[in-house]
Amino acid sequence: MSHDTHHAPVASKLDLAPERSDLGFYRPDRTTGLFDWLTTVDHKKIGVLYGAFAMLYFLIGGVEALAIRTQLARPDQTIVTARMYNQLFTMHGTTMIFLGVMPLSAAFFNFLVPLQIGARDVAFPRLNAFSLWAFVFGAFVLNASWLFEFAHLAGWFDGFAWYQALVYTDFAPANGWFSYAPLSGTFGQANAALQSPRFTGVGTDFWIIGIQILGIASLAASFNFICTIINMRAKGMTMMRLPVFTWMTLFTSFLIILAFPAITVALIELMFDRQFGANFFNPSAGGQPVLWQHLFWIFGHPEVYILVLPAMGIVSEILPTFSGKALFGYPIIVFSGAVIGFLGFAVWSHHMFTTGLGPVPTAAFALLTMAIAVPTGVKIFNWMGTIWGGRVRFTPPMVLALGFIWMFMCGGFSGVMHSSAPADSQQQDSYFVIAHFHYVLLGGVLLGLMGGLYFWFPKIFGRMPNATVAYVASGLVILGFNLAFGPMHYLGLAGQPRRTHTYHAGNGWEDWNLIATIGAFILGIGVFTAFANLVWTAFKGKPCSSDPWDGRTLEWSLPSPVPEYNFAQSPVVATRDAFTEHKHGAKRISYEADGGEAGIHMPSQSWMPMLAAAGFLFIGFGMPMMSMGVPHAGWLVITGLLVLIAGIWLWAVEGPGGYMLKTPSVASAPVATPSVAPSAH
Amino acid sequence: MFSRIISRVGLFAVPLLALVLAGCSKAALTVRQSTLDPKGPVAQVQYDVFMDTVWLVLVLFFLVGGLLVYAVIRFRARPGDDTTPIVEEGHGNPLVEVGLITASIGSLVFIAIPTLSAIWYTDDVPVEAVPKSKLAAWYAPAAGAPALDNAVAEQVLEIDVIGKQWWFRFEYPQLGLTNDAKHSVPNELVIPKGVAVRINLRSEDVIHSFWIPKIAGKVDLMPGRKNHLWIQADQVGHYYGQCAEFCGDSHAYMLFRCEVLEPAEFAKWVAAQKQDAAPVAAGSKAEQGKNLFAVKSCVMCHNVGGHFGAGAFGPDLTHLASRKSLAGAWLDNRDLKAQRALEQTSPLGTESSVEVDRATLKANLIKWIGSSGVSHDANGKPTKDVKPGNRMHYYKMFNVAGLRETKQEFTAEELDCLAEYLLTLK
Repeated sequence: MSHDTHHAPVASKLDLAPERSDLGFYRPDRTTGLFDWLTTVDHKKIGVLYGAFAMLYFLIGGVEALAIRTQLARPDQTIVTARMYNQLFTMHGTTMIFLGVMPLSAAFFNFLVPLQIGARDVAFPRLNAFSLWAFVFGAFVLNASWLFEFAHLAGWFDGFAWYQALVYTDFAPANGWFSYAPLSGTFGQANAALQSPRFTGVGTDFWIIGIQILGIASLAASFNFICTIINMRAKGMTMMRLPVFTWMTLFTSFLIILAFPAITVALIELMFDRQFGANFFNPSAGGQPVLWQHLFWIFGHPEVYILVLPAMGIVSEILPTFSGKALFGYPIIVFSGAVIGFLGFAVWSHHMFTTGLGPVPTAAFALLTMAIAVPTGVKIFNWMGTIWGGRVRFTPPMVLALGFIWMFMCGGFSGVMHSSAPADSQQQDSYFVIAHFHYVLLGGVLLGLMGGLYFWFPKIFGRMPNATVAYVASGLVILGFNLAFGPMHYLGLAGQPRRTHTYHAGNGWEDWNLIATIGAFILGIGVFTAFANLVWTAFKGKPCSSDPWDGRTLEWSLPSPVPEYNFAQSPVVATRDAFTEHKHGAKRISYEADGGEAGIHMPSQSWMPMLAAAGFLFIGFGMPMMSMGVPHAGWLVITGLLVLIAGIWLWAVEGPGGYMLKTPSVASAPVATPSVAPSAH
Repeated sequence: MFSRIISRVGLFAVPLLALVLAGCSKAALTVRQSTLDPKGPVAQVQYDVFMDTVWLVLVLFFLVGGLLVYAVIRFRARPGDDTTPIVEEGHGNPLVEVGLITASIGSLVFIAIPTLSAIWYTDDVPVEAVPKSKLAAWYAPAAGAPALDNAVAEQVLEIDVIGKQWWFRFEYPQLGLTNDAKHSVPNELVIPKGVAVRINLRSEDVIHSFWIPKIAGKVDLMPGRKNHLWIQADQVGHYYGQCAEFCGDSHAYMLFRCEVLEPAEFAKWVAAQKQDAAPVAAGSKAEQGKNLFAVKSCVMCHNVGGHFGAGAFGPDLTHLASRKSLAGAWLDNRDLKAQRALEQTSPLGTESSVEVDRATLKANLIKWIGSSGVSHDANGKPTKDVKPGNRMHYYKMFNVAGLRETKQEFTAEELDCLAEYLLTLK
């Protein structure tokens, strides 16, 4: 048995001798290119992969949104069928939430958290890779339902007996991202084969297993980040010196590990209803459909904060940087994040005001919902306090962060309107709600994340995106967004219900729907321009200094792109925003005498996380195919379980590996000199 | 620099201004399903609370938003600024923080109080509304009809709403209009003007939601659970409602109407609902249609009082030709041009309604019955259907004892006869 770390330090991993793991296989440490990306355990590369997949799914979800808006541009249109429309809005919502915003947030978590706390990686690098690949495969399973749908529409299944026996032929999910039982579940009595009659087809089974896999990915990642933030902080990086983005990562991770178990249980129950004749949500067998709503929303509402807190963290980093001033009320911003996270678990039934809860619970949830506006308002006041008395420099990230505050504020205001249950009974399930949560999630979260992309892109790739293109893209996004979703406030109050694939002329909805569609296309062009700008920059952009914005947190003290070991010597920080004061004369960061000739211990790369996660691919296809009645599909599920178990077992026994990497000497410890701040445009 | 800020502010202001302008036109506020044009106390209370939130939010929007704009402009970096960093620990100012939090809570109390009062007011018929709303106070059974039971006469009118994919069935148990009594009312609710009515909500399959925006906000129809709300309309007319909870393929086609009548007219309507269909003339097209109705198994689901009494699952068709809409109120049986013209000239606005247009009704019947039967291609996939997934003629889902899979096809001739028969069902 080899103890891998006894080798002499090498200058680059390419200089390593070929190394066998305890299993006898060569470790993929010396790989480059594709294999390097597939086996990487480097949090920065994993972050970039998260980001790339998230942007891809943002575009897919955006195309789905544009199809929806095209169908609704005029009354009585038949561009897509009712079924296809329902599938489009189901997949649009699911994609944007689980495959767009959450992974893009995860990209920031991965890339930034270790850098911001002065660590060399996350606590469990291989678990981190497992989270990534579980997400990738879960996302693929969910979207593969479209492939089945197209095969069905093209008639490729026509000859199969199982296909002819299907009662419902929706292959892409058509049950909404909320999947309310019993529409997503069963009715009547199960037959001898423990199959109950259902209202929807296998699309729902794809959705159930897809979300289940994505939940596992999120849970694993969250435990990882909690361990990282609690345990891996550099010396002197006390909790109350953490950058706010790291704080928000911590809260988000806690929200995920507390909220996802609810949806996990709900999904298992729904799966058992559909595939094994259970009756959790089947009203004709004594089940309770409203139970699904409680389980879903006690996950679903914290999920909103899971989406929004990272963006708030990003904005809390951008605003002080470009105001040239420390964040106003740091402790209050941090604690209001905690209060939002806590109260987020106490307001779920405001999604259910119309389900007949009775006046007492309705009143309680109305008041709690109003209460959650207070910590949210506190954040806005403190952001304003940060700008107040500062020197505001306008850059693309700053413009997007200011846009975030505005749009999020509008979304928050319509949220306050919803909190009043009697008013909400007119707004629930109308376009007013669509306007509200798009102002929060698109005007808020997407602008925040875009701001974050423009802010940290120079750090990630060492290249600066073109500011003019960035301004144009941001302008198009903000204009298109307001044009698309502003009118929906009116449409909702004019009585247009959500999730309807068409509407008659004569209700007064025609003109504003057309305007909303035009806005949606402008928004689409804006987002595409921004993403194209970023992708182009990653490969061809103008190289920039390591600290182009006069940053305040530790990541800006590192070269761009960041070396694989992050910190050549571990930093010791003496204050919050240490790098700002350090740059400007006060010595607030010192470096420990590690690294150098002795080398830095690097973890070995591994195929095993990806192999284990690949088990989900088999399970993800097997469960829906069982539901379709494809013969022997159950074996696919069993194969998947075996692959998953084998992957984890091999991962455990291949040995920790690792090697030592030589780094520049202490003398050249990378303390970046403040570059000339970009002049105000 | 400055112009950029102004133009950015403009970006937000333009849609907002457009929205406000749209809101200012009366026509835009009184569209058919407007929540901003309440016509009864429940919708009025909900509207009032909504407007409280609007005023609060507008004040906050201009206050906070204005401060933000001011801060960004006032504290923008200028050439020649002092470049030494502003180094200070960001503790904030406790007095400012506490003050703002207190102000936030205070402003929320402003909407919390009307919210709480409205939650209890809209929950069930208020006690003070019962004396004038109980059946004895306003309902006089039409001549010849049996008098109300004494206990019933002291109650307010109760209507059972049953949701199905994708239509509503309305029953008036106190007045003998129920599915069991073969007198249920599909898709067109009729209520008396000016009195409180209690609505009981049930679903027979998935979750639906009952929503007539001008009369009351929505409450869901939960399978396995009994929900309720109360409504009252203070103006006669024709109102538009719609299912507001996603309920499957044809959710968008699950609409309904609500006719508000003077109490005396309402009593006449109840009496009329209990009439059986008139016999069809021998040898007419309608008689052929009646035979087809039996042969093509329509009779298995649909009740036609006096003609066929077996059907209980589908909508009651006894008074089909008197209804202003078809197919879950998706197909309108009125002359739409005349309807639009009336809406623009009548003082009732969108609540005014023209009568059923016979030619439109016939065309709708042929479209609806025809497309539902033949709309599935050789492989059973839905093609162009008035309501995809509807259960007419294509019965694979509830493929249980007694209801085998049926797939009826009609010739143009047969459709014509069937439509002629249905047109006699006034």
